Amino acid sequence: MRKVVIVLLGMVLGISLKAQYAGYSPVSDLAKFKTDFSAATKKIVAIKSDFVQEKNLSMLSEKIISKGKFWFKRESMVRMEYNQPYQYLMILNKDKIFIKDGQKENKISAKSNKLFQQINRIMIDCMQGTALDNPDFKTRIFENKTNSLIELTPQTKGLKEMFKSINIIVDSKDFSVISIEMLELSNDNTLIRFTNKELNAEIPDSLFTIL
Amino acid sequence: MHMQTTTGNISGLAKFKPAFNVALYKTEVDVVGNHLSGLLLIKKMPDSSTRMVFSNEMGLKFFDFEFTTDGNFKVYFIMKKMNKKPVIKTLRKDFELILMEHLDTTAASVRINNGLIYYVFPEAKGYNYYITDSTGDNLVSMERASKRKTVVQAIMKNYINGTPDTIGISHKTFNFTIGLKRIER
Repeated sequence: MRKVVIVLLGMVLGISLKAQYAGYSPVSDLAKFKTDFSAATKKIVAIKSDFVQEKNLSMLSEKIISKGKFWFKRESMVRMEYNQPYQYLMILNKDKIFIKDGQKENKISAKSNKLFQQINRIMIDCMQGTALDNPDFKTRIFENKTNSLIELTPQTKGLKEMFKSINIIVDSKDFSVISIEMLELSNDNTLIRFTNKELNAEIPDSLFTIL
Repeated sequence: MHMQTTTGNISGLAKFKPAFNVALYKTEVDVVGNHLSGLLLIKKMPDSSTRMVFSNEMGLKFFDFEFTTDGNFKVYFIMKKMNKKPVIKTLRKDFELILMEHLDTTAASVRINNGLIYYVFPEAKGYNYYITDSTGDNLVSMERASKRKTVVQAIMKNYINGTPDTIGISHKTFNFTIGLKRIER
């Protein structure tokens, strides 16, 4: 009888883990994943892509969709340019953040704002492959036939109040980022999908210059 | 301010009440030297209440408010930094001014001053004014005032199918302005 209960419990637990991310199951060899991930992401020195951002407001049954272009270059340089349905530019360059919203420009030093610094860090970690080493998060990794899902659960106060988790989906072959999903404490989420990716294309530093 | 009382019809104001089925506004906020921008989604819910969700361009939510037709208000979410009673109260009153829900016509009056028509609604601690030109066809501005002075001035312009594509809210007693420009989704 006890054996039956244990087996049943095991099935229930197994099912509940699987149901969490439909189609995904926990990675069997975590150490191997981390080694492969680290090796593959070190080879990525630059990324150029398009992106589609979908903000889902579940209670309102509404989505806000925006589109733009994305660039990443080692070390710690990100340029995100929204062009639909509004113009908005964000540049991360080491510890500096530059925002151009229509006509208005704003330079922020991430050093002066802890929360900004952490969010800044997440974006760069996703691209640079250091997402698994960030001590501000607890990490769980799942996989399906083609992708891996890295679930980052915030451990620090500020981020915990904003996000339930941040899920990064990477291609299992080259570990490049397919999407980043930020799940809020409510049922709302923001999903950024990267398409038309060019890995290691030549990207001038001037795209990331903050004067 | 010297105002002549006039017999005017409060119903002349009804055409300016904004119809928000679902509208998305590019939003700029300037408050005491800080600049904040983002997107404000305004939606009329199935139960007739109005929801306003303000988030930044990258999806970070600032607040999520509900305004009911009978004048009630609920905060579904507000970012920690903004979660202060005076901030919430100010935002609530500013948006209630432009939503024009639950206008209590029983104590309202209509006056004329300098060729403008003032629809005056007494509030708990002051007045809300809706001001049109002499023809009554154009909403010139809206104001919230204490007994002695103007506290907030607001405008709604360029109505398309009942929805204004430009909304501005400007505080007079401290540095705080909100600019909304409608964008296609």
